Amino acid sequence: MIKVTDLKKLYGQQLAVDHISFEIKKGEVVGFLGPNGAGKSTTMKIITGALAPTSGIAQVGGFDVFENPIEVKKKIGYLPETPPVYSDMYVFDFLNYVAQLKGVESQKLKAQVDMALEKTQLTGVKNRLIHNLSKGFRQRVGIAQALVSDPEILILDEPTVGLDPKQVSEIRHLINQLKGYHTIILSTHILPEVEATCERVIIINKGKIVAQDSLAALTKLRSGREKVFLSVRRSEGVFEGLKQLPFVAQVENSKESYQFEVTIQNQETDVDLLARWVLDHSHGLIEIKPVQSNLEEVFLNLTYGQKTEI
Amino acid sequence: MSKIFPNKGIVNRIVVSKGTYAIFKKEIKGFLTSPNFLLVAALTATIMSWVFPNMLRMFDIQAKSAQFGGAQGPSQALNIHYGLFLRHLSYVNLILIFIVPALTMKLFSEEKKLKTFDLLLTSPVTSAQIVTGKLLAALSAVGVVMLVTLLYPISTRTFAEFSWSTLLVAYLGIFLVAAVYTSMDLFCSSLTESGILAYVLAVILNVFIWFIGMGVDVVDSSLARAIFEHISLNQHLSGMVEGTLRTTGLIYFSSLIFLFGFLAERVVESARWR
Ligand SMILES: Nc1ncnc2c1ncn2[C@@H]1O[C@H](COP(=O)(O)OP(=O)(O)OP(=O)(O)O)[C@@H](O)[C@H]1O
Ligand SMILES: [Mg+2]
Repeated sequence: MIKVTDLKKLYGQQLAVDHISFEIKKGEVVGFLGPNGAGKSTTMKIITGALAPTSGIAQVGGFDVFENPIEVKKKIGYLPETPPVYSDMYVFDFLNYVAQLKGVESQKLKAQVDMALEKTQLTGVKNRLIHNLSKGFRQRVGIAQALVSDPEILILDEPTVGLDPKQVSEIRHLINQLKGYHTIILSTHILPEVEATCERVIIINKGKIVAQDSLAALTKLRSGREKVFLSVRRSEGVFEGLKQLPFVAQVENSKESYQFEVTIQNQETDVDLLARWVLDHSHGLIEIKPVQSNLEEVFLNLTYGQKTEI
Repeated sequence: MSKIFPNKGIVNRIVVSKGTYAIFKKEIKGFLTSPNFLLVAALTATIMSWVFPNMLRMFDIQAKSAQFGGAQGPSQALNIHYGLFLRHLSYVNLILIFIVPALTMKLFSEEKKLKTFDLLLTSPVTSAQIVTGKLLAALSAVGVVMLVTLLYPISTRTFAEFSWSTLLVAYLGIFLVAAVYTSMDLFCSSLTESGILAYVLAVILNVFIWFIGMGVDVVDSSLARAIFEHISLNQHLSGMVEGTLRTTGLIYFSSLIFLFGFLAERVVESARWR
């Protein structure tokens, strides 16, 4: 659906996107993840045709964005970083205008606008002046205008920024509902967002892709080994005893003396062995659970980790 | 539209589309509901209501003195088209120089400031279609203001005889001048994020293009004179005030309108090439 090859963007001397390539299939929900200034927005602008790349190719649905811009733009609904709303227009009129601008046929106009209002729960404020709406509602109008032409592809640049927690979860719920109907790209620096909505992540740092994979694969990326959290009642000799075990690679004593983080070779069977060892030596098992190396760790390792290596 | 022009190559090159119409409608509605536009129209009416009776009185005095003194003064002065309407049009022109920028200043600058420009850039419309939609809307707004000023000469019909067609051709002339300003001022708006700056720039450009024709009186060489005569808006307009339409005039006005429309289109397109 979306194919980007060797994309590069220079703002004057400033390198914003550095030879990026990736592909997104129809129906996928992909998150662009990266710290400030990574080049997420720039990449999105290039795909939507708002910005020309310095070099490289962006294709959408088989069309080159810059050779067939009209065809491409018909397929895309785009929410920029700042919601593109006219404060002196009414919500309904604005969505109606965007729908016409996007070439929605006049018979379908009303239905499409109503659909966008409904999905973003704006029906109650449709006759309000956008100027009088709160920031969160304006953001929702921004999402509604991306939806109003019922595009195949949705490109959302930080869709939940500036929203209160309830609205954030509503928007995530909405994105989850839209899954399957649209191909979705969203950008964020908030990790839970990716975890909550995306199937695949593309991590960008300083204009380069540092990792791209499914969420599950990325979380396991750290190593083939797994960490488990172990808590016992009687901790004498546990630390030394664990170190002797053949399937244990590393043991860390947590703050509390009876809690340990044990790195084992292969989680499937070794956890059983570990549990049996604790029971056999009557250390008193309280708790044993896998420590998820969460995306946050992966993200920090991949982006900020790099910096410290230099 | 796409059904009529299934070939996307043609659609791309075409300047008017459904999108153009959507932009046109939105801007027209914007004008009609904005206090700015009403203020401009009211201001124009106020100035005219003050200036026009004065001009009328002067014309009356002239006409009377011409009657008493036989055929003394130039016979033109007696003609209502010269004696009154030409003067009226020069006032209309003066007003246009300042109010057209007020109508156009926000058309692009506001989009850039509010970041709604990205919406236009990512919609299935070409830059030419965007500019056309805005230009047509601005022309309609300017047209409404000009209709207000047209009421004054029309009102003299109650006590004076004049030729309708001459007046209308004269008004077509001043409308073309207004269209040149509109196109130019829209271009100014596309250059900046600041509405105020766009206004100032536009007024300067309007004054410049109007006064460039004054070169006729300054230069000696006949070639330079001919050039200045050709690029003088005033020169082309005065022909139309007499009621004569010349193709050179029409071509000159339309090429200026097109030129600045084209420049605005280039500026809009260049937003993709930051
Ligand atoms: N119009 C511009 N002119 C010059 N430099 C720019 C421009 N826009 C972005 N940049 C630079 O390009 C780089 C990438 O910016 P971009 O906005 O794509 O980052 P981002 O990943 O979206 O960041 P954020 O998370 O803060 O939104 C940054 O270093 C930024 O300073
Ligand atoms: Mg960004």
